Amino acid sequence: MEKMSRVTTALGGSVLTGRTMHCHLDAPANAISVCRDAAQVVVAGRSIFKIYAIEEEQFVEKLNLRVGRKPSLNLSCADVVWHQMDENLLATAATNGVVVTWNLGRPSRNKQDQLFTEHKRTVNKVCFHPTEAHVLLSGSQDGFMKCFDLRRKDSVSTFSGQSESVRDVQFSIRDYFTFASTFENGNVQLWDIRRPDRCERMFTAHNGPVFCCDWHPEDRGWLATGGRDKMVKVWDMTTHRAKEMHCVQTIASVARVKWRPECRHHLATCSMMVDHNIYVWDVRRPFVPAAMFEEHRDVTTGIAWRHPHDPSFLLSGSKDSSLCQHLFRDASQPVERANPEGLCYGLFGDLAFAAKESLVAAESGRKPYTGDRRHPIFFKRKLDPAEPFAGLASSALSVFETEPGGGAMRWFVDTAERYALAGRPLAELCDHNAKVARELGRNQVAQTWTMLRTIYCSPGLLPTANLSHSVGKGGSCGLQLMNSFNLKDMAPGLGSETRLDRSKGDARSDTVLLDSSATLITNEDNEETEGSDVPADYLLGDVEGEDDELYLLDPEHTHPEEPECVLPQEAFPLRHEIVDTPPGPEHLQDKADSPHVSGSEADVASLAPVDSSFSLLSVSHALYDSRLPPDFFSVLVRDMLHFYAEQGDVQMAVSVLIVLGERVRKDIDEQTQEHWYTSYIDLLQRFRLWNVSNEVVKLSTSRAVSCLNQASTTLHVNCSHCKRPMSSRGWVCDRCHRCASMCAVCHHVVKGLFVWCQGCSHGGHLQHIMKWLEGSSHCPAGCGHLCEYS
Amino acid sequence: MIHDAQMDYYGTRLATCSSDRSVKIFDVRNGGQILIADLRGHEGPVWQVAWAHPMYGNILASCSYDRKVIIWREENGTWEKSHEHAGHDSSVNSVCWAPHDYGLILACGSSDGAISLLTYTGEGQWEVKKINNAHTIGCNAVSWAPAVIPGSLIDQPSGQKPNYIKKFASGGCDNLIKLWKEEEDGQWKEEQKLEAHSDWVRDVAWAPSIGLPTSTIASCSQDGRVFIWTCDDASGNTWSPKLLHKFNDVVWHVSWSITANILAVSGGDNKVTLWKESVDGQWVCISDVNKGQGSVSASVTEGQQNEQ
Repeated sequence: MEKMSRVTTALGGSVLTGRTMHCHLDAPANAISVCRDAAQVVVAGRSIFKIYAIEEEQFVEKLNLRVGRKPSLNLSCADVVWHQMDENLLATAATNGVVVTWNLGRPSRNKQDQLFTEHKRTVNKVCFHPTEAHVLLSGSQDGFMKCFDLRRKDSVSTFSGQSESVRDVQFSIRDYFTFASTFENGNVQLWDIRRPDRCERMFTAHNGPVFCCDWHPEDRGWLATGGRDKMVKVWDMTTHRAKEMHCVQTIASVARVKWRPECRHHLATCSMMVDHNIYVWDVRRPFVPAAMFEEHRDVTTGIAWRHPHDPSFLLSGSKDSSLCQHLFRDASQPVERANPEGLCYGLFGDLAFAAKESLVAAESGRKPYTGDRRHPIFFKRKLDPAEPFAGLASSALSVFETEPGGGAMRWFVDTAERYALAGRPLAELCDHNAKVARELGRNQVAQTWTMLRTIYCSPGLLPTANLSHSVGKGGSCGLQLMNSFNLKDMAPGLGSETRLDRSKGDARSDTVLLDSSATLITNEDNEETEGSDVPADYLLGDVEGEDDELYLLDPEHTHPEEPECVLPQEAFPLRHEIVDTPPGPEHLQDKADSPHVSGSEADVASLAPVDSSFSLLSVSHALYDSRLPPDFFSVLVRDMLHFYAEQGDVQMAVSVLIVLGERVRKDIDEQTQEHWYTSYIDLLQRFRLWNVSNEVVKLSTSRAVSCLNQASTTLHVNCSHCKRPMSSRGWVCDRCHRCASMCAVCHHVVKGLFVWCQGCSHGGHLQHIMKWLEGSSHCPAGCGHLCEYS
Repeated sequence: MIHDAQMDYYGTRLATCSSDRSVKIFDVRNGGQILIADLRGHEGPVWQVAWAHPMYGNILASCSYDRKVIIWREENGTWEKSHEHAGHDSSVNSVCWAPHDYGLILACGSSDGAISLLTYTGEGQWEVKKINNAHTIGCNAVSWAPAVIPGSLIDQPSGQKPNYIKKFASGGCDNLIKLWKEEEDGQWKEEQKLEAHSDWVRDVAWAPSIGLPTSTIASCSQDGRVFIWTCDDASGNTWSPKLLHKFNDVVWHVSWSITANILAVSGGDNKVTLWKESVDGQWVCISDVNKGQGSVSASVTEGQQNEQ
């Protein structure tokens, strides 16, 4: 805690210098007061009354005012005040109700000057008049305030607060005759010293006792009050009715409040209990203290600024028996720690941002920011009218919405809802999903689906679909246009995904190969491929980019384009078989088909009839096996899935995983799959897509995931004899020790399907019961119930 | 002054907390912002709020300068204080709920240097564990790691609770980011100390794990730097920092998008920037929202205005 910074301030003739320091007192302090030379401080407490000199490096004990043989209650001080005009004059308030004045100029050891024993109970506060040398004011627990003239033996006047007890009295600094007093009942009274009969003004300042008050040293009408309600309020007393200017909320009841010299809006507070720190507040910033001194280990009882024109030195006394000098510079500043901004990334990609309003307001007229072209993210700014803050430390809360097509998560929801994951043949699923992706403007994803379709599906159907195209010449023309249009769209998506392109390229190259080997039909699209008769070029070269896309686009395009196209009925059962076959043979099948269908699962119109692929399998094997190992694509697909997952699109990873099923499952380790599944399900649930989430759970093959659906579903089984719950053990009831599910007809334990009558709970093997009930309508168990079988 | 804003799990509600001791909840559906609750109960500025997973009901935690953490619960449309934790000796700066798989666990970081973990044990009871001296001078931020299960799930007998390894990251005034791990005996142990910042760490954010094989943490600091920490190996012991950017001013917040591929950063220069990792592993700024336009003139007037 030892901070070594040093501050020197020149104030007129005198120079203040010092550092943060503290010294140990013999006893807890109740109050402190500074001499007007700013070089001495007096500390008073129940059993301490000493004057310390404030030196550069330390406090030095100068004088002990507690003298005399027997300790007197008169010396048990509740408050002490040093006259601001006379360096030798001090006054103390004793807990027994005595007000004592002290003259340091007395030659004897005992400096006690006068004794006023007029108050009946503890005197809480004494206060010298700021400009009048002989006027002293006291406020006591007995509810009276007394004004003493030090030249006389007793009080000049008595003011009755008409209330329980006075907690503080303070002469106004500017108005010669005015003083303020605060009361335990929450009131503040303003008195004219010449009018003891009644107070000039009274108002309720706090809820609960007002412990302290302090007049602003410069602003003539400002009075700060602190109360048990943990608030410090600043009042403007110049107006007809006291007006609350500021209200500072502290975290504990306020015991002392002192305006900071030379800083118009600053005041220091310390608390009566719980909190041991001293805070300096800027009253305009009522929630976070501007500075905080944490040196004391027990309640701080007295605070005083060292010099009325120096803002950097604060002295304090505490119940922990220590006296401290604090340097403002060494204070910790909670404001600096406070976070001025709040930021949160919303679910839908929107951002909530709260910041200092002064900074935000200045640009409210601005147009929404437009991101750079490749990643267009736009923000719409909306000011929230519900935040009624203004000025110095207020914030504006704004929610930025991403516009469609940007970083918004709308696509996620749409995609999740519209994707088809099962229940249809693979090719259709791929086509459907590709279409969904395309409609949402996610071309890269669409392309991936298309590609998957070409990799994993028998192309047999495609030519048939194309058949209708090729019949009319216009059809193929339209197709051509469509392709080029889509290509343009797709360009940005492709750019960011080089690896995929590469894999695509590889995947496609063999199709190209097939095309070139079977160029039965001329087609504009195929011209490029026809140009090369050497397949190796395509396998290694980088040129494939464009025509690949053409190929890739077409199959899925023809399909949605021509919903009315007639698919051969046989195709469906055939495909179903394919769905369940492992990837190896299937993709061979794909190759196998190609030559016979004139090599075009692409857009080439085929006039050849579609054949069953089974007969061709053996041929293709011989032809292409050496070139393409069966799991050739699996690696690529696996990489592709990882790629998507890493891109944050776990949706794609899971969807492909489900759609392709066994084809890829073995290539990806279980844990990763599971991780994808759980991530995706979690996401779906965040978007409240319960149905989709459930579907995913259902379709997942990972046991840990699919058992999610069984969580918190309980099945209660009761014994059919004693009607009490069965243990989880199985067939035998614990309580009646009988087999629970006996067939009423054959008297054997039923394992498997058990049918029973809901009326009498007897039943048995389905076959037996059915048979029985054909002949009789009574229960086979003989209970007399008329069972019904439906 | 608003210190934090958090959207709930479904992105339909926004909770803010402010210096004026209030916690406010807004409905932000359909682009609107309707105040639906104003929670009063703190006695000092409220620094941070956190939504619990909805499977536990509508629960919001807030932490404040008054050294308290309050857990609010909505029942029948009204928000009420359900628990108050007053176990810290100084301002509580950060609260974060653990992944829902662990149960209701709240981590709180405080200026007294300690981190406390509140675990709901049922019937309104909370069990408190405290890590003392987690960060000297104070802890500014806490963030939980996503729930990851060691080993394959397949081996877990179904119905039995999987044995999670609970981890979280904290950032503090000692310029460090620390990773904490729960030992088998339930005690929390410092696992890692990540050192790169040269000033107070202001925020840490553990990226949601969406299909990523690596663990990622973003951290920002008083020194204006934002680091992305990644850990590739399964043991989780080697973390390598990558400097995302050095800003000219304090960076207060980092926040991940739910798919963990975009990081939002807000800094003292009153800008929100969005960052995305490019294919070659570099972080690039893809967009920014400049809040600082005209800030020069604004700061001049600042001192003359009054706060309500």
